Amino acid sequence: MTDPVTTPATPLLEVTNLKTWFPSGRGEVKAVDGVSFSIAPGEVLGLVGESGSGKSITGFSIIGLIDEPGRIVEGSIKLEGRELVGLPSHELRAIRGKTISMVFQDPMMTLNPVLSIGTQIKLALEAHETFSSAEARERAIKALRQVRISDPERKVDFFPHQFSGGMRQRVAIAIALLHRPKLIICDEPTTALDVSIQAEILAEMKELVSELGTALIWISHDLAIVSSIADRVAVMKSGNIVEIGPALGVLTKPQHDYTRALLDALPSRAKPGELLLRGSGIADAAPPPRKSATANLPHLGSPYLVIDDVVKRFEKPAGLFRNLAIKSGLSQPLNVVHAVAGVSLTVKRGEVLGLVGESGSGKSTLGRMAAGITVPTSGTIGLNGQPVMSTGRAPKKITTRIQTIFQDPFASLNGRMRIGDIIAEGPLAHRLVSRAEAAVYVGQWLAAVGLDPSFSNRFPHQFSGGQRQRIAIARALAMQPDVIVCDEPVASLDVSIQAQIINLLIRLRAELDLSLVFISHDLSVVRHLCDRVAIMYQGRIVEEGEAAAIYADPQHAYTQRLLAAVPVLPQAAE
Amino acid sequence: MRDTPLSRFLNEFRRNKVATGAAVFVFVIVFIALIAPLVTPQDPYDLAHLVLRDARRPPGYVGTGGYTHWLGTDSQGRDLLSAIIYGLRISLQMGIIASGTAFVIGAVVGCAAAYIGGRFESLVMRIVDLQLSFPAILLAFVIAAILGQGRYQLILALIFAQYAYFARTAHGAAAAERQKDYVEAALSIPLSPWRVVLRHILPNSLPPLIVVATVQIASAISLEATLSFLGVGLPPTEPSLGMLIANGFQYLLSGRYWISIYPGLALIIFIVSLNLVGDQIRDQLNPRLRR
Repeated sequence: MTDPVTTPATPLLEVTNLKTWFPSGRGEVKAVDGVSFSIAPGEVLGLVGESGSGKSITGFSIIGLIDEPGRIVEGSIKLEGRELVGLPSHELRAIRGKTISMVFQDPMMTLNPVLSIGTQIKLALEAHETFSSAEARERAIKALRQVRISDPERKVDFFPHQFSGGMRQRVAIAIALLHRPKLIICDEPTTALDVSIQAEILAEMKELVSELGTALIWISHDLAIVSSIADRVAVMKSGNIVEIGPALGVLTKPQHDYTRALLDALPSRAKPGELLLRGSGIADAAPPPRKSATANLPHLGSPYLVIDDVVKRFEKPAGLFRNLAIKSGLSQPLNVVHAVAGVSLTVKRGEVLGLVGESGSGKSTLGRMAAGITVPTSGTIGLNGQPVMSTGRAPKKITTRIQTIFQDPFASLNGRMRIGDIIAEGPLAHRLVSRAEAAVYVGQWLAAVGLDPSFSNRFPHQFSGGQRQRIAIARALAMQPDVIVCDEPVASLDVSIQAQIINLLIRLRAELDLSLVFISHDLSVVRHLCDRVAIMYQGRIVEEGEAAAIYADPQHAYTQRLLAAVPVLPQAAE
Repeated sequence: MRDTPLSRFLNEFRRNKVATGAAVFVFVIVFIALIAPLVTPQDPYDLAHLVLRDARRPPGYVGTGGYTHWLGTDSQGRDLLSAIIYGLRISLQMGIIASGTAFVIGAVVGCAAAYIGGRFESLVMRIVDLQLSFPAILLAFVIAAILGQGRYQLILALIFAQYAYFARTAHGAAAAERQKDYVEAALSIPLSPWRVVLRHILPNSLPPLIVVATVQIASAISLEATLSFLGVGLPPTEPSLGMLIANGFQYLLSGRYWISIYPGLALIIFIVSLNLVGDQIRDQLNPRLRR
C-alpha cells in the first residue's frame, strides 16, 4: 500500500468542490455541498459520517448513479485526469463496472433472485468484454474462488437465496472485482452482517485490495470498522468534509469538534456505566412519582424475572391434508425451527442483563417471550413469582410490570395516533391515571425523557428517529414497570443519538430501580450498559456471567470468537 | 398552508387535472342532488303536475307548465332533466348507504379475521372467497329477487354483493399491519384485543379500503341501475336512473331516443367521474405505484 501520509502527484481520482443537490418541495436539499478529496492508486479512503451527512451520495455521484431529479450542480470528478461530470451516459457505462465498481449494503437487493450466480457474473463480464460460455463459467468460478467461496464449481450454479448474507456479500464483491477495477466504492458493505462475518469480510477485503492494488472508498457510519481498513479517513457532516487525514491521526488526535464529538459518543471509549460525554445534550426532568404499590417488591439484587427452561418452536402451519397425514403418522411436521431450545435465566431486581448473540441466535424470541408477546412452546416465565402470561388455550399477557422497547422507532409507534395518546393509552386502559390527570402525566413523562411536554399533540412522523425512541421509552415507562425488555433499542440510531439514548437509559434505570433485559448484537454497547451478560448461540445460552469477567476472560469458544471479531478503535496516545 | 398529510394529499391530487375535473364534477352532482327540489323545474314524483299531453316531447319543447323541457319529456309527460336529477339523488343515496354499510361490515370482518387467525380466519375468508368467485350482479340479482322490490330490500342485496370486496381488502391490509412492531407494542402493554383491532390495526388499514370504497360506490350505483332496469330494483314510484332508462327503452327504436339516452349518459358520466377520482386516490395511496 502507498504511504498514507503523502499524496502522490498523479491521483487516481480527484474530486473538487462537488455539489450534488436534490430539489424538494421546500427548496434544494444540498446533500453534497462542496466536497473535495483525492485518492492515490491502491489507497483506501474511509468516508465516515452519520445518516444524512452525504457520504453515500458522494459515492453515487462518483459512479454516476444520481437519480433524477437529483443532479451534480457544480464541481469536477476526475478519474486519471478524465472529467466524469457531464459525461454522456454510454461513456459512463463503459467506466462503471470496469474502472470503478460498487458494492452495496444489502446484497439481497443487488443480486437478481431469479438468476444463478454464474449467470449474473457472466452478464457482468459481458457488459465490457465478450466471452464464450465455457470461458465465462471458468472466469466466474475463478472470481468466486478469489473471494474465498468454497467449492466454487458447484456454487456457481446456486441462486442468491441459497447463500447466507456473508456469502452473498462475497459474491457481490466478486462481481465488483471482475474487471480488475482501479477503484471500488463500498457503501456500508458490512452493516447488514453479523460481527464475525463482518470481521472475515474486512480481513479478506484488506488482503484483496493490497494484492490487486485496487483503491477503495469505504463508506461507513462505524469509526472502528473504518479505522481497521482505511489508510486515510474523511469525516463528513451535512454535505461537507470537516476533517480528512491519515486514519490513525484523525481517530487518535481529531482536530475538528465534530470528529471529537463522534468519538466521544462511542461507548467503547468510556468507562462502563458512566454517562457518555456528548450524549448528555438535553437536560431531562425527573420522572413522575410511582403510584403503583412498591411494598411487595423484593429488594434490589434479589431474583425477580425468572425464566425457567423455556423452549420456542416455530412450525410452518400445515394445511388440512398434511395435518391429517401428520395425525395419522404418514408425514412429519414441516420446517420445525427451534428458535429457543431450553433457556433458563434469572434477572435480579435493578440489574441490567445483556442478551448478546448474532442474528438467528434466538435472543429476540427469548426477549419477546419474557415480555409476554410470544407464547413459549414450553417452560415458564415468572415475574416476582407471578406468571407473565395466563395459561389455557389462548394465553394472554396478564402483567403490566414488564414492558418493551423495540428496535425500529419508526415501526413501533402507531403513525395515526398523537404521541400524547400513544403514551396515555396503556395507563388509561389499566387505570394507572384518570382521564383528567392523563395530560399532566404524559407531559411529565415527555419531560422525563427529554422532550418538550407541549409535543404531546403531534404525530410520530414529525419527530426524528432519536426523538421517536424517546417517545417509545416514555410509553414503556408510563406503565410504571419494574422490568423493561429492550430489543436492540439503539441499533438503528446514529452514534450521537445512540449515546443520548444510552445516557437516558442509564439515568432512568438508576432513578426508577429498573431491571433491563438489554438485547443487542453490539458488544461495546452491552459492555457499557450491562451488569451481567448472557451469550446466546443457536437457541441456547453458551455463557453467562458478570460483564467485566466475560469481557476480560471469555470461557466459551464462541464468546472468544465473538469478542475477537469486534473491530477496535486505535487508542489515543497519551 | 400547514404541512399535514391531508394538505400534501390534496396538493398531489390537484396535479392530475383530469381527476381534479372529475372530482369537481362529482361534488357539483352531489350538491345538485342534495338540493334537487330547489333547482328542478318540476317535481317528477308529483303526479298532479304531470300532463299527458306533454308526453314524449323532444328536447327544447315548451310544455303546458310554461317552461322549456331542455332534455325532453318521458312517456308520462315528466320533465327528463328533473327526473334525471331526482334519479341521481336516489342512485347516490343507494350507492352511499349500501357501500358505507358494506365498508363497515367488511372492514370489521376482515380485520377481525386477520387478528384472530386460525380456523375463524380460514372459515370467514373462504366464505368471502366463495362469494367473490360469483359476479356481484348475480348475487345481487338473486337476493333482490328473493326479497322482492323495495328500497331496503335493494340496499340489503347491494350490501350482500359488496361487503366481500371490503372484507378481502381489509383482511390483506390488516394481516400486514398485524405483523408490525406497533401492534406488538400495543399487545405488550397489554391492551385488549378489541382496542388493538379498532384503534391500531383498523385505522392503519384504511387507505386501501378508501380506494375500494370510491370504486364500490360507483359499482353500487351501476348495480342498482342494472337491477332497476331489469325490474327487480326500486318500485316505479321512485324512479332511479335505471328505471328511467328502462322506461325509455321501448321508444328507442321509434326515434324518441332522449328518454333513454339522457339518463344513460348521466349515469355513464357520473360513474366514469367517480372512477377517475377513485383511480387517482388509489395511485396516491398505493406506495407501490409511487415513483
